[in-house]
Amino acid sequence: MKTKQLLLLILPLFVSCSNDSDDTYQNIPLEFKVPSNFPPPTYNFAANPLTEKGFELGKKLFYDGRLASDGIVSCGFCHEQANAFTHHGHTLSHGVGNGVGTRNTPSIQNLGYQTSFMYDGATTHLDLQPIIPFTNPVEMNGDFTKAITMMKADASYQKLFKIAFANGQINAENMLKALGQFMVSITSSNSRFDKYRRHETGGTLTETELKGFAVFNAKCTSCHATDLMTDNSFRNNGLAVNQAINDVGRYKVTLLAVDKYAFKVPSLRNIAKTAPYMHDGRFGTLEAVLNHYATGVENSATLDPLLKQNQKLGIALSETDKIQLIAFLETVTDTEYLTNKRFSEY
Amino acid sequence: MKNALHKAIAILAVSALVISCSKDDNEVITGTGNLGIEFDNAFGTNDLILNTQANTTSNNEVLKISNIKYIISNIVLTKEDGTIFTYPKSESYFIIDEADPTSVVAELENVPAGNYTKVKFGIGVDQAQWELGATGQGDLATRAQAAGMLWSWSAGYKFVVFEGTFTSATVTDSTPFMVHTGQTATDYNYTEVTLDLPTKAMVRTTISPEIHVVSDVSKIIDGTYKIKLSDNNMGGMGAMIMGGTNLPLITANLNGMFTVAHVHND
Ligand code: HEC
Ligand code: HEC
Repeated sequence: MKTKQLLLLILPLFVSCSNDSDDTYQNIPLEFKVPSNFPPPTYNFAANPLTEKGFELGKKLFYDGRLASDGIVSCGFCHEQANAFTHHGHTLSHGVGNGVGTRNTPSIQNLGYQTSFMYDGATTHLDLQPIIPFTNPVEMNGDFTKAITMMKADASYQKLFKIAFANGQINAENMLKALGQFMVSITSSNSRFDKYRRHETGGTLTETELKGFAVFNAKCTSCHATDLMTDNSFRNNGLAVNQAINDVGRYKVTLLAVDKYAFKVPSLRNIAKTAPYMHDGRFGTLEAVLNHYATGVENSATLDPLLKQNQKLGIALSETDKIQLIAFLETVTDTEYLTNKRFSEY
Repeated sequence: MKNALHKAIAILAVSALVISCSKDDNEVITGTGNLGIEFDNAFGTNDLILNTQANTTSNNEVLKISNIKYIISNIVLTKEDGTIFTYPKSESYFIIDEADPTSVVAELENVPAGNYTKVKFGIGVDQAQWELGATGQGDLATRAQAAGMLWSWSAGYKFVVFEGTFTSATVTDSTPFMVHTGQTATDYNYTEVTLDLPTKAMVRTTISPEIHVVSDVSKIIDGTYKIKLSDNNMGGMGAMIMGGTNLPLITANLNGMFTVAHVHND
């Protein structure tokens, strides 16, 4: 009798000890550092506090092709780190069963500062964004019920969900929050340009690059604003309508006539790595982009007024301006981010 | 005198009984119980029959309905003394689907015992939840995708899905219609309704009342605001109402869609 009682007392101790091992929630906070040259973040960190294990789980999910209907197309399939998480060499994305989407894959970097996602701003919360590619029939064509079943049967997911979240549940909420934690942590802030802006060592720009920065400030920052190089607005920058797709852009979301053919002003960070350019990947080079602004801007009812000032279409750019601009744009390439092992699949 | 004493004793005894009885009553109302809210879809005064039954609106459009589904959320119960019980938000999401008989009762658990006189619920997913992102959604995305209620292209939810075919004086061939409500860039399209219960729902550890709600789905397009499907038949491809100025009107119509027919207390 006495030994029994003793056992009963001791037993819970054992249980809690074994619980303490690998399989309990590990609240190791992950700091989100805001570089001094960045604007304040927009992400709600209180609703989804970043932890080391949440990040780890998110990374595993990001690179797991088993979430897709064909077992192959992961988020990382289209978003490749070496190309600033874009799909190198593809104008339009292509996913499961070679289904072709209607848009070019944008980069994943500094998403915690954005107010909306996708070229048309279809969603405003980073944690919910993955629902779009995950369920899209021409991207991952995924099914939550199947994905959850797969993860519940997988030993490493069983463990990761337990250590990443206090309630340890393998469900859509935790899956999305983990992906959100991983993506919001993908920061690019250490290009030569950033170091120049923060007066850090290694932050020297050549004379040509500095001149390019001056041209950029004069002609581009009205839309590509702040050191993140976007004002998060939607605008029509005068691209000829691609009739094969007839992508109406922001109009799809708002159904407001003024938003027809308006697209989100993209960040230009790591731009030298993200060709092809624009929402449909129509331009293969930065030269082509600059030629568009200089001579290719098409007038239309919704063309942004900044691109038709003084009865003139587009932005006046001399050949020297273009060379200097491109030299400048190459300074925002951040090798540290492009090669950071913390973000890579292997 | 003796008689009077007897009487007094008798009165005392009876009143003691009464007091203890009412005391007992009070004591019974402790603990928690279950409560069901059944959503019984109807079209006007008729029961709703999917696919085959023709239903006529006040605009003389004839509808055959193939799908009616909606998300119920944010359930709040009011007791007879005015106290309020808010069902845990993340557990309050129910997808009601006429085609799935197992889905039409929202089963609430751990409801404090008491006599309830009012029920309030939302149709859709509210803005506060939206702004929190995935936090608090539990397995909602999974259930919604399985039920076809995920508004995938915008990572949101369809709040109401109302689909079928229709004919009218101007549209003589049977033509599809689809009404989907949900958040758009211009309107949130979430709404809440409060219903008085005709008799109290007496939740006890031993009694699980069921509130029988009749949902008159004709009201979706034929309520305070009358929306003609024929006017929305774009290029003859069908009436697709999934955005634009009609959605807030449809959302307003939802307020008149629900009534409580009766409450079972057993
Ligand atoms: C088939 C290729 C493909 C796959 C797979 C894919 N994406 Fe994308 N991603 C795209 C394209 C194309 C866009 C732009 C779509 C648009 O604007 O409508 C995009 C946009 C995004 C954006 C918005 C970026 C911004 O700045 O607005 C994020 C975030 C993102 N994807 C994350 C993910 C995640 C997470 C996954 C996996 C769950 C994923 N993607 C899977 C191609 C893909
Ligand atoms: C009126 C606002 C506006 C101005 C001014 C502007 N841009 Fe843009 N830019 C946009 C928008 C909007 C897009 C996205 C259009 C799309 O994808 O359809 C864009 C896209 C780009 C892209 C392609 C990005 C990518 O990832 O595909 C580059 C590069 C670019 N702009 C460079 C510049 C440069 C350099 C200047 C100054 C010479 C400039 N822009 C001026 C609005 C503007």
